[in-house]
Amino acid sequence: MSSDRLAQPADVLRPRHVGAPIKRTEDPRLLTGRGEYTADRKPDRALHVAFRRSEQPHAKIIRIDTTAASATPGVVAVLTADSIAGDFKPVIPFSRMSSYYATPIMPLASGKVRYVGEAVVAVIATSRYLAEDAVELIEIDYEPLGAISRAGAAVASDAPLLHEEAGTNVLIAREFKKSDVDADLSAAAVRVSGRFEMTRKAPLAMEPRSYTAEYDARRSALTLYTSSNIPGIVRDALSESLGIPGNRMRVVAPDVGGSFGSKGSLYPEEMLMCIAARKLGRSLKWTADRLEDVSSSSQAFAEIVDAEMGFDSNGVAIALKADVIGDIGAYSIYPWTCGLEPVQVVSFLPGPYKIGSYRGAVRGVATCKPPTGPYRGVGRPISTFVTERLMDLGAKALGLDPLEIRRRNLVRPNEFPYRIASGIIWDKTGFIECLEAAGQTAAYDRLRAQQTEARKQGKLFGIGIASYAELTGIGSRIPAAPGMPINTGSETAKISIDSTGAITAAFGVASHGQGLETTLAQIIADDLGASFDDIRVVQGDSDAVPMSTGTYASRSAVLGGGAAKHASALLQNKIKRVASHLLEANNDDIEVSGGKAMVSGTDRFVTFKQIAKAVYSDTRTLPVDAREELTASYTYDPINGTTAAATHIAVVEIDPVTCFVHILKYVVAEDCGQIINPMIVDGQVHGGVAQGIGAALFEELVYDDDAQLLTASLVDYVIPSALEVPNMDVVHVESQSAVAGGFRGMGEGGAIGAPAAIANAIADALSPFGADVSILPMTPERIFQLIKQSKSKAEEKSR
Amino acid sequence: MAVKVSVIVNGTRREVADLEPRLLLSDFLRDALGLTGTHVGCEHGVCGACTVLLNGDSVRSCLTLAVQANGCEITTVEGLGTPETLNVLQTQFREHHGLQCGFCTPGMLMTGEDLLRKYPFATDEEIREGLSGNLCRCTGYQNIVAAIRSAAAIRREQTQ
Amino acid sequence: MKPAGFDYVAPATLDAAVEALAAANGEGKLLAGGQSLLPLLNFRMTRPAVLVDLNGIKELSFIEKRGDHVAIGALTRHRDIEHSPLIASDLPVMSAAMRHVAHLAIRNRGTIGGSLSHADPAAELPMLAMFYDARLAVQGPGGRRTIAAKDFFVDALTNCLEPEDIVAEIEFPILRHDGWAFEEAAKRFGDFALASVALSIRRGASGIEDARVAVMGVADTPLRLGDVEKRLVESGIDGRISDRFAEWVASSVTPNSDLHASGEYRKHLLAGLAKRAMTTALAMKG
Repeated sequence: MSSDRLAQPADVLRPRHVGAPIKRTEDPRLLTGRGEYTADRKPDRALHVAFRRSEQPHAKIIRIDTTAASATPGVVAVLTADSIAGDFKPVIPFSRMSSYYATPIMPLASGKVRYVGEAVVAVIATSRYLAEDAVELIEIDYEPLGAISRAGAAVASDAPLLHEEAGTNVLIAREFKKSDVDADLSAAAVRVSGRFEMTRKAPLAMEPRSYTAEYDARRSALTLYTSSNIPGIVRDALSESLGIPGNRMRVVAPDVGGSFGSKGSLYPEEMLMCIAARKLGRSLKWTADRLEDVSSSSQAFAEIVDAEMGFDSNGVAIALKADVIGDIGAYSIYPWTCGLEPVQVVSFLPGPYKIGSYRGAVRGVATCKPPTGPYRGVGRPISTFVTERLMDLGAKALGLDPLEIRRRNLVRPNEFPYRIASGIIWDKTGFIECLEAAGQTAAYDRLRAQQTEARKQGKLFGIGIASYAELTGIGSRIPAAPGMPINTGSETAKISIDSTGAITAAFGVASHGQGLETTLAQIIADDLGASFDDIRVVQGDSDAVPMSTGTYASRSAVLGGGAAKHASALLQNKIKRVASHLLEANNDDIEVSGGKAMVSGTDRFVTFKQIAKAVYSDTRTLPVDAREELTASYTYDPINGTTAAATHIAVVEIDPVTCFVHILKYVVAEDCGQIINPMIVDGQVHGGVAQGIGAALFEELVYDDDAQLLTASLVDYVIPSALEVPNMDVVHVESQSAVAGGFRGMGEGGAIGAPAAIANAIADALSPFGADVSILPMTPERIFQLIKQSKSKAEEKSR
Repeated sequence: MAVKVSVIVNGTRREVADLEPRLLLSDFLRDALGLTGTHVGCEHGVCGACTVLLNGDSVRSCLTLAVQANGCEITTVEGLGTPETLNVLQTQFREHHGLQCGFCTPGMLMTGEDLLRKYPFATDEEIREGLSGNLCRCTGYQNIVAAIRSAAAIRREQTQ
Repeated sequence: MKPAGFDYVAPATLDAAVEALAAANGEGKLLAGGQSLLPLLNFRMTRPAVLVDLNGIKELSFIEKRGDHVAIGALTRHRDIEHSPLIASDLPVMSAAMRHVAHLAIRNRGTIGGSLSHADPAAELPMLAMFYDARLAVQGPGGRRTIAAKDFFVDALTNCLEPEDIVAEIEFPILRHDGWAFEEAAKRFGDFALASVALSIRRGASGIEDARVAVMGVADTPLRLGDVEKRLVESGIDGRISDRFAEWVASSVTPNSDLHASGEYRKHLLAGLAKRAMTTALAMKG
């Protein structure tokens, strides 16, 4: 088999896909309304579910009367905890952590309710409209048990217990220690401290949570379509809870409309949908309305951090001490536990800095709110906020420039790998390079000059810097959540060439906006030597993909990408073996690229299609023992993971009349290693920063003292719109990491750096007033109060 | 009480009888007509995901009753272009990476179409103002603005 | 989040609408643009038995000049007001305010009659009705009568109408002024205002001859500040006028605190916006 045409130069040069801004495979369907999100499923004669949710923050359920609801037109069933009691086992978010109590996860509140918005009764009817009609007619008698709305109140000696069996409202406690922090603090030339708070936020994906449970009577099988970014974990948990083996319990995450963490845990509603579908033998649909989504999806942060940092006279941070209390809400979540967010704060507080001694203590306490869970950045948006504020306070106390103090404290290129005081190991990354690149791109010196001018005119002009590091693509040595028994350290790619020559690559990692269908195909195109357009990436379907824990924690490019590289190499070897037969050439002389296997230096080649035909259909061309299936799978484990880093610089001006913060300039210099698709990387940074701007300036879930949510609508929970997000300059420091492909994870970073950079910029802008920024979001109201307090303090002094 | 709704959607007449007057236009499009490209994100008129064109003007389909659309022409995202032949705005969204998860995208496109028609010379600031009723959590808006700016330039060239 | 059930009528004339509303025995609700009503229906915060849809009444949609007034039909959409050259020339403060009214898609649908009837204390059109001293023509079972804007807004989200009344049109007197401004601050552009000031002045040889001032977001209804208007007329124009104006405006209100802002901040904000408004108005050529 040979070609009658000469190899073209392009074939020889092999266009590289990795590193190129290739347009996304996902886009044509998503741009034309042809995507399929969970709510778009149209199962046969589906019924619709609506939930009656608790209006009580903490109460015993005395009586539930569903008589009137059951008699409402269109209602097929009304389910309570009692009526489904025998249909499942509770799911336990287990952890090996000591000082941790795992609260069981139940599909409907059983015995008592623990937050406003907790699902108590499920109504199943022929339409959502009719189901909601019936929900209104359910009567529930409660005996109030006392609301716990604040973390401080939860640890009071007379606080009611949310989970009596735990014996305490402190569901998790941990401490990280290195060296004698108190001694080092006493010896420090300068000590700075503060009480910092990151208020509770909603991840707020634009697609609310949505589940469709499809029942197949023929096989007694269930398929759950779910807007989840961890469909593999959901499948295994449901299989266990409902006692349905995996070959009859399928979970599919189709197109998913963003998660940001809110779709990264198992939800009671996912259990209920499957339980009810099996019980009724019918297919069911439920999509959270926005109020349900805000008031029952996992929430973020809600920590108060008392922290102190000590510096030597050269501006080197030598000691850091922190006491963290996290308001974790009413339940631990599966599989991450309630430790995920608060423990990560103390794990990452030392950040990218060489702080010698450290003590970080954390308590996670139960309150009458929805559970906190993963949120883009997990723990690090607040740890970075605290550490970067302390760095700036230190710089101020020492008379150093904020850029300079970071220069003196960041781990330097020759010092990697570096184990920070909390025990995290940073592999070689461009910490200093990012700092310098951000400074250059922002024209930092010129900005300072501009600030001097602006201040002369009485303007509140501030420049804020934040440097941070994150551990991404973590392998099996480090659990994604503390003490978690599920292995989150590996991912599998399964790549096949079918009998038509088409390539299907199956991954368990599940995209919800990250563009993995494109980036993983880019890797395969290069490493397998395939034509990009011939590759179809399949994700999120437990029947079609290898076991996986999903997409979270900036892991999919590293783990999925690493698996793709290895599986591609294995499959390419198979292709070479077949091609060597067909082309009568030595294995080593075969080169594979662009969907063809070619004898090096010749014009002789076979296409993947021809190879597939030879292997699968045309029994005469290959010896029997050479007819192996053109498929390869590889499970990749990066063992430790890899560090990603960035420096953000924000320039703001505060309007003294409105107290609004205007972001004049925003620069990100980041190191995510080898970039797969620069267009997608920039997009991730933009989106992360926008979310960080929301956290810094706008977003806050406000609960009153009775634990009632006051900001459940999008009118009151304010996320940034197009006018609140500035254009950003993003520059890349592409230092190759040690993992396969040299990638680093980067999906979360933008949201980690932005709150701290903006907080520092606001503090800098308000420095003429000597005001400190210690709580986010910095709303106009808070800025007004800061300025007012500073002015009255100044007046007192001058008296 | 049951009502009949007769509309022209994306150029095709569609008629459905026996609807409750309370049925929202968003649910009518998605459930009765099967046009699931129109997304529902908040049902209180803030997020803009459900935006469609009603007689040529962008409106929130979650704040419109299906019965109110009776006799009207509706354009949804399905009526703009196909995966094989994206229209100018869709093409620019793809070129500029103006979408990630894609959930807000149909609303962004329909608002963008209205903007392009009413304000063909919009500045970046005006584009942002025009988009301020459409929330996106993924993109940070920068690339959406770039896509609309670029589509406006192409359309201006085409009409010259 | 779906509305509770209701019956629906779509009368073709105003008289038929009044009849339909009266027939609903107080259980009826008018549907104009629906941009405030539909969220309330979806949240089930309101549950009328009958919805009377006014959108088929063509006679209610117009903008026309009548001598020294501009009359606007109740069903006129926000975007028609926003883009009307007549409004731009004769009611410039209204014209400037319209871009602050929510967002593109909401303005395409929302109506002036609906916005006034909804009486949100942080919405632009009720404030403009107060500002211009508008008169609302109201159709009820007993015929048509006019109500002054100052009598129309009773409380937050409450007007003075009887259950079977319908706002038919609104007359706005034209101010023959030579300087004006509209200032508003909202958390996000297009959100309900945290505070807002509308100002219009006519200058003469001795200073300000006539002034009009209204504010919103700082009380349960929009407010016209008659006392401040009087003091402006009595006061000369000097370098301190903007500051004095700001002080007078701020001292005229005692805003409440809510989820989004304290009363204290709102007062500070209002003063700052007032100062800006005066500076802008004075910068216009007299």
